[in-house]
Amino acid sequence: MKISLDWLKEYLEFDLPLAQLVEKLNMIGLLVEDWKEIEEDIILDIETYANRPDTLGHLGVAREVAASLNLSLKRKSWPLTESEEETPQLVDIQIKNADLCPRYCGIVVRNIQVGPSPAWLRRKIEAMGLNPTNNVVDVTNYVLFSTSHPIHAFDLEKIEGRSIIIRSAEKGEVLRSLEGKEIALSPEMLVIADEEKPVALAGVIGGEESGVEEATHNVFIESAYFDPISIRKTSKKTGILTDASYRFERGADIDFPPQAALMAASLLAQMGGLATQGIMDVYPKPKSQKKLVLRNHRISELLGMEVDKEFVLRTLPSLGFDVKEENRGIYQVKIPSFRVDIERETDLVEEIARFYGYDKIPSEIPPLQKLEPVFDPKRKSVERLRQLLFHQGFDEFMNFSFFDPEKESLFETEKKAIEIRNPVSSRASLLRTTLVAGLLENVLWNKNRGVEGVHAFEIGNIYFWEKEKTREQLTLAIITTGYLDYLQWQGKSELTDFFHLKGTFESLMENLRYEPYSFQVENHPFFEQGYSLSLSYKGERIGHLGLLRRDILDSYSLEDPAWAAELDLSILFEKQPQSFRFSPVAKFPSITRDVSFIADRDIPYQKIEEEVEKLSIPHLETYSLYDIFSGSSIPKGKVSLSLRFVFRHPQRTLQAEEVDKFQERIIKTLKANFSFQLREGGKIDK
Amino acid sequence: MKDLKLKIEEYRRTFDEDVSRVKDTKTLQDVRNLYLSRKRGYVSLLFEELKSLSPEERAKVGRSLNELKAYIQTRLLSFKEELARPQEPLKKVDLTLPGRKRYWGAPHPVLLFQQEIENIFLGMGFSIEGGPEIETDYYNFEALNFPPHHPARDDWDTLYINDDLLLRTHTSPVQIRVMEKRKPPIRIIIPGKVFRKETPDPTHLPMFFQVEGLVVDHGITFAHLKGTLEHFLKRLFSEKIRIRFRPSFFPFTEPSAEVDIECTVCRGKDRECRVCGGGGWIEILGAGMVDPQVFKNVNIDPERYSGFAFGLGVDRTAMFAYQISDMRIFYENDLRFTRQFALK
Repeated sequence: MKISLDWLKEYLEFDLPLAQLVEKLNMIGLLVEDWKEIEEDIILDIETYANRPDTLGHLGVAREVAASLNLSLKRKSWPLTESEEETPQLVDIQIKNADLCPRYCGIVVRNIQVGPSPAWLRRKIEAMGLNPTNNVVDVTNYVLFSTSHPIHAFDLEKIEGRSIIIRSAEKGEVLRSLEGKEIALSPEMLVIADEEKPVALAGVIGGEESGVEEATHNVFIESAYFDPISIRKTSKKTGILTDASYRFERGADIDFPPQAALMAASLLAQMGGLATQGIMDVYPKPKSQKKLVLRNHRISELLGMEVDKEFVLRTLPSLGFDVKEENRGIYQVKIPSFRVDIERETDLVEEIARFYGYDKIPSEIPPLQKLEPVFDPKRKSVERLRQLLFHQGFDEFMNFSFFDPEKESLFETEKKAIEIRNPVSSRASLLRTTLVAGLLENVLWNKNRGVEGVHAFEIGNIYFWEKEKTREQLTLAIITTGYLDYLQWQGKSELTDFFHLKGTFESLMENLRYEPYSFQVENHPFFEQGYSLSLSYKGERIGHLGLLRRDILDSYSLEDPAWAAELDLSILFEKQPQSFRFSPVAKFPSITRDVSFIADRDIPYQKIEEEVEKLSIPHLETYSLYDIFSGSSIPKGKVSLSLRFVFRHPQRTLQAEEVDKFQERIIKTLKANFSFQLREGGKIDK
Repeated sequence: MKDLKLKIEEYRRTFDEDVSRVKDTKTLQDVRNLYLSRKRGYVSLLFEELKSLSPEERAKVGRSLNELKAYIQTRLLSFKEELARPQEPLKKVDLTLPGRKRYWGAPHPVLLFQQEIENIFLGMGFSIEGGPEIETDYYNFEALNFPPHHPARDDWDTLYINDDLLLRTHTSPVQIRVMEKRKPPIRIIIPGKVFRKETPDPTHLPMFFQVEGLVVDHGITFAHLKGTLEHFLKRLFSEKIRIRFRPSFFPFTEPSAEVDIECTVCRGKDRECRVCGGGGWIEILGAGMVDPQVFKNVNIDPERYSGFAFGLGVDRTAMFAYQISDMRIFYENDLRFTRQFALK
């Protein structure tokens, strides 16, 4: 809200340096966001709140300043030059919908010479950032910016039958607004109509046809109270937001309409008009004044300090409240009609606090009695996961949760994406069903800026419809592409590959004690056929990893291969990990046996593992694949696999002969199942 | 006596053989023990035998035996010195060449900053709570005392999924969810993602992080709110930071306050400052005493309990703390930016 210091002085005599005034206003909750000097005046830009429509005019702001400076408002009089006629002789007002329009006032001003406003008025209108229109329109705006009460002026001669009918619009009715826009009306909208047709959209905008123009001589001034919800709905539905609707939807002062009409008539009379006698006031069910009880002890209970009775009895009246101390420390408070925000005792406590000064309220650390912390194991798991990934050199990324529909169809996530009804942009109209898309954007961004390798992860929700309900699924996604380390003198930099990603998952699962887990070769829409694995734990599929599809990478203009993975943390964290157990350190020496086989290239290593597991060889502590080799010494279509087996007995030293037997069993089984050949010199005792 | 002399001769020969096979300190020690061990060494045993000889013979043989002992000791010593010397000269290495660094991943700066915030509150005995990002109108607005069709809703530009479901505009709905299931005392913070219908620009984002706080107990006052938030801001920024509380409006608190800190860039000295707009203060927190209507909505008696709530934007606060001029940088995920935060 723009506030002119000149204008403020119409209501209040004060002389305060600007900086001090700004500080005063800030500290009573009228935040001065900016100010500028124009001509002799200073215009403040004040942030106002949705619950304080009374501060949307100079009078309301003056009242606040007066209270904070202990001053009184100036009384202004509004003399009228009256004609012989009484208002009802010239115009008829009928409220057909008193729920949406509980009060409607009007007065007629005759013999108006429509033309430019006097200089003082033009300056005021310009101070508000508007262009002066004509004296009648400028007067209505002057009343609005002075008092925050919107009024409207009609050309009386264009009101058919000189009948003002406040009614609901009828289906199919159309109004051409002052802005020249055709508004399709609907029955929940309130209109001002004459005998034939709507002439204004009540509280929102006037009609073009009934508007004041140069040829206008007789003006009907409307000053009413409209239901805030109705105005808001109409404004939203028609997309028309005006200074009037902005104030009515926040709640106007229901006691004020006659005064606003009087002000307008008086100003027009000063410009040569003749007002009819008496303001017509249709107010079928007058509202009674709100009353509240304020308890002194409640003030100290909420603020944490005592406030003098004198302060209460001085401050509230200066803001327009009527206060009486009924019993000791109990006040009966009558609420002025312009304070639509005051409904409970707490609201009065805020008034006391505002003018007492938040800065004078003490600062105390609350008594922090012991409170058992509520512990969320999921949060701890996520944190552990992040640390593990940092250790492995993965950077953390964070992307918006939105998703481009084009990308969504490219990824084919098989999840029903959630659509945003009013998205920020059409390329962000869905909620993401995968985190990989965001990570690819980030890869592209960094590659374009010279980064040679991106190895990163994001932890966050993906979103989708599941049986008519929205699901938020906490997910981890990892991406790896390009060089794994910096260029360095000791050798060539290593490129990432699938096994870097897989190894990361293996160590994650092991470190979080989610064992045993298993991988399966399984196709997935993100990945090239045959180039992806699924990861399962306790019989449930929790993730996928693989080489991203060429066409997906192409759509991000990424040339290098990229490997990605997505893990469903919401399922994983529901499951119990292995409990942590310490096992004693082995005291007896182990025996290691290395065995090399010539095997068919097509045999998956996992099958070999499965066979070894099936044997359940006693005291086989660990085994691992330590070399794969193919070359001129190996027959075509075959590879040489070297496995290392480590045997250990927990209670005694194993004998070489015992281990020989175990080793024979393994060799025999592998030979039988996979027609392996033992490689010459492949059996080495260690 | 002759036997003894022969033995001395033989041991001299076998010693020469044994010592020729010495490769390292360990085998050298073995040889020394074999001949000189005080109890079982060959030479020591010969000295024992010496005792059975006549004095003249003893003197004669004793001399040669002493010679043998001295010979062995000298040879062993020279071998020891030889072994101590490096076998081959070490390869020359330029130690000024760069070392092999291991790279650790960097946390996302906003989450890092959020954890700094969380830690301050954890230190004050707060617990951390969470809730859904897709909320109902009830939890996001109505239960927080935003009546339907109230203009206050305009201050929270909302992304809707349908008439009832929306992307939460603040983490405040979790206040309601927690108070519905738990009785006071309550002392929680709620960090999380929130969404607004905003086109990204340097100071607006359609998604950002917020930390909401809630304290409910008997006798909680506005003074407690001030004390808690002042402590928090001093820990987060600095002991000396200037803080100001001023009246504001939020539907779910009454009285309401906004908390400003002095501008971290110009300290109030630059009328043209782009960070604070010249006012010298920057808004950091929204706060207030829990509105009695909110308590009624979750069946807590506002006459028996009181409480305060507060909320701050993590990204926005990080922007001031690190003096970043454009918040969009947090979501560009530029490694040249994010990796700097591994140093925090």
